[in-house]
Amino acid sequence: MGEEVKKKRPAPDPNSAKYKLGQIAAKAYSDCMEAKARGEMVGWCASNFPVEIPETLGLSVCYPENQAAAIAARGGGERMCSESEGDGYSNDLCAYARVSLAYMKLKDAPEQNMPMPDFVLCCNNICNCMIKWYENIARELDIPMIMIDIPFNPDYEVSDAETEYIRAQFWGAIHQLEKITGKKWSDERYKEVMEISGRSSRAWLAATSCAKYLPSPFNGFDLLNHMAVMVTARGKKEAAEAMETLLKEYEDNHEKGDSTYHGEEKYRIMFEGIACWPWLRVTSTGLKSRGINMVTTIYADAFGFIYDDFDGMCRAYARVPNAMNLELSRDKRIKLCKDNHVEGLLVHTNRSCKLWSGFMAEMSRQIGRACDIPVVSFDGDQADPRNFSEAQYDTRVQGLMEIMEANKGGRSDGNR
Amino acid sequence: MAIDELLAQFHEIAASPRKQLGKYLAQGRKVVACAPVYTPEEIIHSMGLVPMGVWGAEMEVHEAKKYYPAFICSIMQTVLELGITGKFEGISAIVIPSLCDSLKSLGQNWKYAVPGIPFIPMTYPQNRKPDYGVKFTKASYEKVISDLEIATGAKFSEILLAESNRIYNEHNAAMREFAETAADHAITAVQRSDVFKSAWFMLKEEHTALVRQLTAELKKAPADEGKVRVVTSGILADSPGLLEIFDKNGIKIVADDVAQESRQYRTDVPEKPNPLDALAQKFADMDNCSVLYDRDKKRVGFIVDLAQKHNAAGVIVLMTKFCDPEEFDYVPIKRACDAAGLRNVNIEVDCQMVNYEQAGTMLQAFKEMG
Repeated sequence: MGEEVKKKRPAPDPNSAKYKLGQIAAKAYSDCMEAKARGEMVGWCASNFPVEIPETLGLSVCYPENQAAAIAARGGGERMCSESEGDGYSNDLCAYARVSLAYMKLKDAPEQNMPMPDFVLCCNNICNCMIKWYENIARELDIPMIMIDIPFNPDYEVSDAETEYIRAQFWGAIHQLEKITGKKWSDERYKEVMEISGRSSRAWLAATSCAKYLPSPFNGFDLLNHMAVMVTARGKKEAAEAMETLLKEYEDNHEKGDSTYHGEEKYRIMFEGIACWPWLRVTSTGLKSRGINMVTTIYADAFGFIYDDFDGMCRAYARVPNAMNLELSRDKRIKLCKDNHVEGLLVHTNRSCKLWSGFMAEMSRQIGRACDIPVVSFDGDQADPRNFSEAQYDTRVQGLMEIMEANKGGRSDGNR
Repeated sequence: MAIDELLAQFHEIAASPRKQLGKYLAQGRKVVACAPVYTPEEIIHSMGLVPMGVWGAEMEVHEAKKYYPAFICSIMQTVLELGITGKFEGISAIVIPSLCDSLKSLGQNWKYAVPGIPFIPMTYPQNRKPDYGVKFTKASYEKVISDLEIATGAKFSEILLAESNRIYNEHNAAMREFAETAADHAITAVQRSDVFKSAWFMLKEEHTALVRQLTAELKKAPADEGKVRVVTSGILADSPGLLEIFDKNGIKIVADDVAQESRQYRTDVPEKPNPLDALAQKFADMDNCSVLYDRDKKRVGFIVDLAQKHNAAGVIVLMTKFCDPEEFDYVPIKRACDAAGLRNVNIEVDCQMVNYEQAGTMLQAFKEMG
């Protein structure tokens, strides 16, 4: 057997958005490690917790969901999931939670390490699974848990009662954290953070909306990587700058007719759900080999928070994808499909995410009808490689492509 | 009435909810379905409506598969299946709380799968104990009242709610007394389940009267000795096929931490000038349940205490497959039971179970552990 010959990649351009975003994502971990080494308290934080709170207080936090995705993408998902299962956790539980609970116990994962927490910041606007997962961490490690409850909103708008409930909890969390860490809240600092987070969000949303151009100036799989910065660092100045660089690159690409999607963009789809991190290459190649560009995903909206004041922030965190009712979730996706000239919808039925997958069948039927596009789904998982079948994925994507092909031929005006 | 006659009545009601529905509808009453785990039944009752529990059924799922992937628990799947196939015909509305992720999607699917029966969401706060949480619970109750008025034409009155709160507290007390009495007197696991299950299909004042009679008769009966005493824990424990194995092996349920059973009856509506405030406070006071936020996992210690207080040999966890909240709690429960020297076993259950052989082997092994 011959040795694998590795292609030498060109050195990355340090001024590129990709480089900057990669640096910020890596720095999120190293900053936390350094803070811990200095003796500062470090928190573990849910991905859609109002990051403005720890950022304003100057707290170092890291993100178990992001870590689990990184571990899974680098091949450690099954090992870590099995570890938790050995402790009695069902293999039907969210794989991010299983990876994280295993990490809590082992305190080491070569794929992605991060410091152990002195407190946890939980917010259930993405799922109630978060509550149970963080309860177990807080109890096991005997550390404080800051819990912000943003209930699933069955209505289209966020009610005054809900806003008031969230506002009271935000202040409750701030005061609890001040007490635990000794740090102080500053209104001026909050204003700065709000502005930076708004800047990052506006640039991110504008960058992702460049998919409106034909062809798209980017490969949608880029978004899956770049969103890590929106999760972990949207309140930081470097993130805002890097997102603005990303937007500029995408606009420039469009001007020059260039794209990070290499090859001819024959079909444009929306991808629904969290990425299949253990099978990222396979899922990406399955599309690329057929000339399919995944131009948009709800992630674009998920981590873009734009608001003007504290109450606006409360409402923004109540309008994240998994906290919204079917109609609002559907309408946001229909808008993405229409704005970005989407020709097909590929749905990841994610074994780890009961909420995301729980009403996806009905919602995607409605999106398909409203946009007159085909919808196919495949079974997978965000971190457990055992819940994905390459053959099924390939068959489903092929089916989607064939319908999109037939639709193109069948349309007399030739427009997309 | 003799014990056997009373138990036969409970069994008849527990086994035929459709008949109960027909009976109330024939009386000209309007019926509102209540999905797991907690709904403000007191409000529904006070408006002259009949609340009836819907916790799924032992059946195969066909139609609900168009809405749910396979990895959602069979309670949600079969509630939806029953709705789609017209088994809830005649019901005026369904109240669905959003206490777990699968319940959140049940409400969303319901709107399109069962358009003939209005969906009324009940949004509970998880930070339910601080004043702002109680206030949010009350606001959600007010929304439910308004939705019920629209769906049924019934009107809300605080005076009537105060009366319903009292009726529900009485029922709670009757159920607690029954559970304690059943711990030491001869009643099978299947019969015990019938008493709890029938409560979901009857007006509570009617159920209280019947339960009190049974408890009084049980107290006169001889003590039930020589059995392996256990505590059950889980969402549901109502499968006759499974419970018969308990009886066959001489395993006696002396207390439970089951969502469909005793978890419903632990907390009373407190005394307060405004009955809606009092009802909101009841939710704030509730604890020891997998779907209610609890940093300290007081539920774990509660289960161990429950077992020790009732001289139980151990805890039998009946794990509803795909139930996240219960699956997360299981690990600390197991560890606490081990540390306390309590036997414990985890038996996975779902509504599509047709073969109880594995459960039988596990229960037999549990019995022999001692």
